[in-house]
Amino acid sequence: MIKIERRNDVSRSIYFLTPVLAIFLTLFGGGIIFYILGFNPIEALKFFFITPISDLYGLSELLVKATPLCLIAIGLSFCFKSNNWNIGAEGQLIFGGIVGGGVALLFYNHDGFYVLPIIILSGAIGGMLFAMIPAILKTYFNTNEILVSLMLVYVAKLLLDYLVVGPWSNPEGFNFPETRQFSESARIPVLFDGLRIHAGIFITLITVFLSWLILYKTYLGFQIKVSGLSLKTAKYAGYKGKTMIIIVFMISGACAGLAGVGEITGPIGQLHRNISPDYGFTAIIVAFLGRLNPVGIIFASLIVALTYLGAETAQIFLQVPKYTGQVFQGMILFFLLGSDYLLFFKIKFLGLKKNEL
Amino acid sequence: MNTKLKVSEISKIYPGCTANDKVSLEFGSGKIYALLGENGAGKSTLVKILSGVVKPDEGEVFLNDESIKLNSPLDAKKNNIGMVFQHFNLFETLSVFENLSIDSEKKDEDLRVLVNDILKKYNFKIDLDIPVLNLSAGQKQKVEIIRCLIRNPKVLIMDEPTSVLTEQETDDLFTSLKQFSKDGILIIYITHKLKEVLSLCDEVAVMRKGKVVSVSNTIDEKIESLANKMVGENLNTIKKKINNLKSSEEILKISNLNFKSDDPYETNLNNLNLSLKKGECLGIAGISGNGQNELFQILSGEIITEGTSIMFRNKEISKLNPRERREYLMAFSPEDRISQAAVPELKIYENVALNNFKSSNFFEKGLVNEKKIKEHSKKILSNFSVNTDNVELKSQFLSGGNLQKLIIGRELITSPELLVCFNPTWGLDVGAINYIHETLIQINEQGKSSILISTDNDELLKLSDRICVIYKGELSKIMNADTVTAEKLGILMGGGSID
Repeated sequence: MIKIERRNDVSRSIYFLTPVLAIFLTLFGGGIIFYILGFNPIEALKFFFITPISDLYGLSELLVKATPLCLIAIGLSFCFKSNNWNIGAEGQLIFGGIVGGGVALLFYNHDGFYVLPIIILSGAIGGMLFAMIPAILKTYFNTNEILVSLMLVYVAKLLLDYLVVGPWSNPEGFNFPETRQFSESARIPVLFDGLRIHAGIFITLITVFLSWLILYKTYLGFQIKVSGLSLKTAKYAGYKGKTMIIIVFMISGACAGLAGVGEITGPIGQLHRNISPDYGFTAIIVAFLGRLNPVGIIFASLIVALTYLGAETAQIFLQVPKYTGQVFQGMILFFLLGSDYLLFFKIKFLGLKKNEL
Repeated sequence: MNTKLKVSEISKIYPGCTANDKVSLEFGSGKIYALLGENGAGKSTLVKILSGVVKPDEGEVFLNDESIKLNSPLDAKKNNIGMVFQHFNLFETLSVFENLSIDSEKKDEDLRVLVNDILKKYNFKIDLDIPVLNLSAGQKQKVEIIRCLIRNPKVLIMDEPTSVLTEQETDDLFTSLKQFSKDGILIIYITHKLKEVLSLCDEVAVMRKGKVVSVSNTIDEKIESLANKMVGENLNTIKKKINNLKSSEEILKISNLNFKSDDPYETNLNNLNLSLKKGECLGIAGISGNGQNELFQILSGEIITEGTSIMFRNKEISKLNPRERREYLMAFSPEDRISQAAVPELKIYENVALNNFKSSNFFEKGLVNEKKIKEHSKKILSNFSVNTDNVELKSQFLSGGNLQKLIIGRELITSPELLVCFNPTWGLDVGAINYIHETLIQINEQGKSSILISTDNDELLKLSDRICVIYKGELSKIMNADTVTAEKLGILMGGGSID
């Protein structure tokens, strides 16, 4: 007979070490998959995880990918810590991109230092407003935020589709589904010539710092923590539950919106159909891999960003589809959840007692 | 077909509490047996043993003189013992028939014929093809009963079946139970409601603190005699406190408190009125589940009710949430100390910060003032003799007694004018109980008031100045504690009335 019991105390250091263990298990599992596919596992893993970042360009690309992932995951950590399951960051990212992109198109042919801040701000507000839809529906109509936020992703995607094909498509663009290129003053400046890494990384770093401040040093952060651990206690302490749900969704949506506007004004420079390779969904893995902790999320975003790059390299050198990247992301989450289960519960093997036979 | 069920010398010991202490009882078919007792008397444990959910440490169960092993609910089913629990185990979104067919080996067509026969025989009116969620509580219970009847039970055990039923549904249930009994099914009826015992059952076994204290024919019993047996007769010897602080200043006045819940497991409150004087302790007795939970949450502000007036120190506070009520110097100690009054994963000082109000300065300009909270926590730990001085300790490592001291300390260190506490000493050892009791007496002596909602009559008689009883969401009249006896409490708690 097998009995599963909750462990009473979980050491803090092991709590932060299990994500590392999950990553090693992922490498191991990935090696096995490559072996079955007929590759030398060591070589393949090297193509996947070392080659992409063995030059400056690769490192810059890593940061380009990690920037939005980290930003979104930080925002999600506010929701997840307080038991609000915002699964629609992808939609909030796209909607932020739409609003920011719209403003950028509005300022087409405008010059001035004020253009970019206005665009970025409007992107953040766009994401924020979009995230408020599931929050308000949850607080006032008792809907399930998981479903609503997820479904809204498709609303945002289709809206973007419509805009780039229809009203916002480039008049000189031969009917390609894309808008004009934004003007120079609407672009986030790159940091080094020839590399794509851009100043958006500073927005991310500032957000990480602010999040740490809010989560660990403010009354709001304390309320979020208590609500996440026990809603009954939060109610007993008199915290305004509804307001808090809306606030965490606003923060999370604003972060996703920022990530969206950062993408279109940074590396992309226009609106088209695929402004995000599912950053909003992948960021959920980042948030949990980083233990919802701001510093943890920075590291997690770098690792998950690497799976994006690795998938591209592997596609070129090993002729495997780039979706292997998603396989790796899935494995990370799988092994993380698995090791968490063993972390929080212990499994006891009991011999069969006689009277049970 | 005669059925004899016998439990012999059954004991079950949980850490810190003996739930069943050498319980021996005999039942025979054709009669309805009541198992009567207060909460924690051991009724539920005994029933769980009979239905295979819990295994006894010692003792045996005999069915028709044969010893049977009940290691799982499946064993109970095999031995034709049926059980209807207080909380229903039905799939809400499945239809009635689907719920019935899930654990039946019969073919659907055969089952439908059988179920229709049962419906006809006992005059049950239930549409088999609508989802269970559309049924009333009484109908859901009937589905549970039908589920047992399908298996031709020899024994049917009903655990507090009327707690979710209306008067009419209760009458219907009793009619059906009497019919089952006539058909030769042995019925064991678990309750703490005295009236039901007298109107339904033939024999009654009373349990107290894990032991069977009496077995008798209900014809020989009255509400008073059963109440006495249930709560124990030795209570009159308990020394009551003497309160010399006779103040006429009214501190709290509640009028027209009504509460209607959508949740059938919650109790509606019906036109509660009470007032409280400065320096006074008002005890509210009752068997749990009669509205205490709801009343506590309304007093603390976790539930806001419409149309109720709560005047506290001449201010209307009925619309305020718990934090805002604390600003007016109210304090609350909920029943669930482990996961509501404190969060086990949080450190002691973080749990202290839960009771935050403006003058505490725990959070200045929205920032956490950790130093201040920790100083304040240290003061609580030493003033209320909590057995640690480490404010960084997670509260899950505190024993029940120390945790309760921390909570009471947290609530009292702000010198509130009113403390509302709900079962403050459940599960604590004698030392901790005495400490909490002394503390509660002390605050009255300092001119502060308290409301003590408790299911422990000893505690109520010891600490209260005035006492009333809550039964089915209604309050009895409020009596002076020196005129109250355990017998009177017992009658009121069981739904009886006194002159």
